[in-house]
Amino acid sequence: MTPSWADLGSGALRAALPLALWGLAAAAYAAQRREGRALASARWTAVAALALVVTASLSMVAALLSHDFSVRYVALNNALETPGYFSAISLWAALEGSILLWTTVLAGAVTYVAWRGTRELPRLATTALAILFAMLAFFLALMVTPAADPFVRIDPAPLNGRGPNPLLQDHWLMGLHPPLLYLGYVLFSIPFAYALASLILGEAGDRWIVATRRSALVAWALLGVGIVAGAWWSYAVLGWGGYWAWDPVENAAVMPWLAATAYVHSVMVEEKRRMLRTWNLSLVIGAFALTILGTFLTRSGVVNSVHSFTQSAIGPLLLGYLAAILVFSVGLLLWRASRLADSGPVGAPLSREAIFLFQNVLFVAATLTVLLGTLYPLLVEAVSGDQVSIGSPYFDRVAVPLGLALLFLMGIGPQLPWHGASRATLERQLVTPALAAAGAAVLSVALGVRGAWAVLAYALAAFVVATVVQELVRGVRARRALHGEPPGAAFVNLFRRSGRRYGGYVVHVGIAVIAVAIAASQAQSVQAEATLAPGGSMEVAGRTIAFEGLRDVIEPQRRQVVADLRITDSSGEAPLTAALRYYPNATAAIGSPGIRSSAGDDVYVILAAYDGRSRAWATFQVRVLPLVSWLWVGGAIVGLGAVLAALPSARRRERPLAVTVPASSAAGAK
Amino acid sequence: MSVARPAGYAGGAGERRLLMLTALAVAIGIGYFAFQELGPSAVYYLTPTEAKERQIAPGTTVRLGGQVEPGLTYDEATRDLRFIITDGVTRVFVLGRGAPPALLREGAGAVVEGVFLNDGTFRASQVIAKHDEVYAPPSPGVTPPHRTP
Repeated sequence: MTPSWADLGSGALRAALPLALWGLAAAAYAAQRREGRALASARWTAVAALALVVTASLSMVAALLSHDFSVRYVALNNALETPGYFSAISLWAALEGSILLWTTVLAGAVTYVAWRGTRELPRLATTALAILFAMLAFFLALMVTPAADPFVRIDPAPLNGRGPNPLLQDHWLMGLHPPLLYLGYVLFSIPFAYALASLILGEAGDRWIVATRRSALVAWALLGVGIVAGAWWSYAVLGWGGYWAWDPVENAAVMPWLAATAYVHSVMVEEKRRMLRTWNLSLVIGAFALTILGTFLTRSGVVNSVHSFTQSAIGPLLLGYLAAILVFSVGLLLWRASRLADSGPVGAPLSREAIFLFQNVLFVAATLTVLLGTLYPLLVEAVSGDQVSIGSPYFDRVAVPLGLALLFLMGIGPQLPWHGASRATLERQLVTPALAAAGAAVLSVALGVRGAWAVLAYALAAFVVATVVQELVRGVRARRALHGEPPGAAFVNLFRRSGRRYGGYVVHVGIAVIAVAIAASQAQSVQAEATLAPGGSMEVAGRTIAFEGLRDVIEPQRRQVVADLRITDSSGEAPLTAALRYYPNATAAIGSPGIRSSAGDDVYVILAAYDGRSRAWATFQVRVLPLVSWLWVGGAIVGLGAVLAALPSARRRERPLAVTVPASSAAGAK
Repeated sequence: MSVARPAGYAGGAGERRLLMLTALAVAIGIGYFAFQELGPSAVYYLTPTEAKERQIAPGTTVRLGGQVEPGLTYDEATRDLRFIITDGVTRVFVLGRGAPPALLREGAGAVVEGVFLNDGTFRASQVIAKHDEVYAPPSPGVTPPHRTP
């Protein structure tokens, strides 16, 4: 038999497992004995393991591109007709490939910590490295057992494969959304490993937070942008006119993001005020555990039914991994509890740290309510055997008030100083934003917005944006007065010198934009349905949609029925198509909606049904969704803000390293 | 810069406790609210036989899963959609509104969400594809037909 890509990949994975175990031992020894040679060995082991895992991933991509159906994964997720792009990204079309990708990213994180981290904080990072090697070993072990071996062969090889899940070969965004989520998930293991290392070494300080600030922020941003990309994909592919359904798969991604959002804020309280130590450790453990829970929920099949859980070998293994992580982390936390007492006093109720506290309570509450709604059907089924689903109404009713309360805190928090605010400060900081909020409320009512939630959302979004604008104006003025810089240079320097702060503000603007887009597209959408004969037309929200006819498009991998439409609005006339796509491996058609996007609104046309015999009629569902495209723009703004916040500051931040520095001196850094 | 806390804003033990208690109260309030919302939002997924045995009250939202019997009709003028869903034992007459979704086919699995009317008819507010149908692999050696709805 001639050697194949799959043999190479399979061999690489099997060689990487002992390396990961060796790395674990070498890093643990190096941390314990402060042994330079052991650390060097761990470092090179990380590089070798990364090279092997990357080889395995590329082998899988090569096997997919060359349609090697003797590999079971390829046979199940690829077909001769699958286009090259979708063949390559089928690396994450199913369980085994996803775990391979996950492991590759994890190996990258291991290598990063081995070379970068250990240089800055040798003992802490080397301990963290041992933990990361242990995680890497777990995932490699999964892949060399039949549970998730991506390179299992079948003999004889079928002549053609089944092809990827149709939903995954329908839109280019599939190449972006899952890797972003995986990167976000996996990068969280860096702060988590440092947190555990800090507990193991009995450090009481915030060194682990400072050292992992950037990776936590990047992980958070990737997860957030990945979620928005997923919403966009859902909007463009699933063809139901929405972008968020509170599906368990979506919840699995949003829960760690919510916990991580609490974390990236609460660490600032610890850095500035030496407070919330146990809380921060718990949050990072919780956020990391939720990434594993998310993978478990989406990958074990447990979401569909508790009974499908035992059908896959991967489910119990992931659950065991999750349990081991929780037991180990919580055990460490309890063991070290006595060293984690807060040294800083809490501020007044109207101080920045108090707002952070409430923000954290709300984010954790949001995480737990989503968790409750996601797991409730499983609990009911386990107890009574009944199949229950928790639909959007529950999540919407809980999420909307929580989201608006968070929007309010997002506006007010950055305006309050640490320790506490005087009345004069409050007035100086909040009068303009409050006026902006009132103005937005009046304006939206005048423009015909009905519904208290929507008006409140617009007002609070205006409040947030106004606080940011106010901060920027003041910052620019201060730089002009102090350094005599022209306005443009002063603006750029604000971001260069205090990227964390102003990048954070940009993130806040992005969230406000997302809030407006959600409120507008949910509260003010218009819906219509009509059955038209070719030549007929319908009117929706001031637009005419004319149906020109149906045509069949035969492609190698699928067949399409395409409806040609012409849409006329105040800006002119444009062609639009809505289609139903039939894939050989799916019994149901996949809708491909026609979307005409503009800054003001999207016209979203679904081909709901058509006359299968004579093509004499077709039924269209049309939704007009105001401002929905700002949701994706908001996601991009959030990503941009996170990049600005994560970039190294031009001014070297002077930070006290020892834990004995009194709390008050850190506040001077503001 | 002076780093002393402004007078009157020092967080004493009492103030700290007040803040923590407020936070706790907020958390408990949200938890209670969430639990309250959970019950009414739970939609039971039943087979027609189970629905009959449990005597689901008219007006309670449930999901029924089963097979669509041959004889599905859609009236373009009234936009009434009528079909029968069955689990092989019990048949339920389903009344929907609007064109049938492209994935709804006779003989295929379907899930309908809605309420029973007083006469035992099921008024569907939503007709959903059965999820596992989408992923069903074709039987070996059989080319799946390109069927139109």
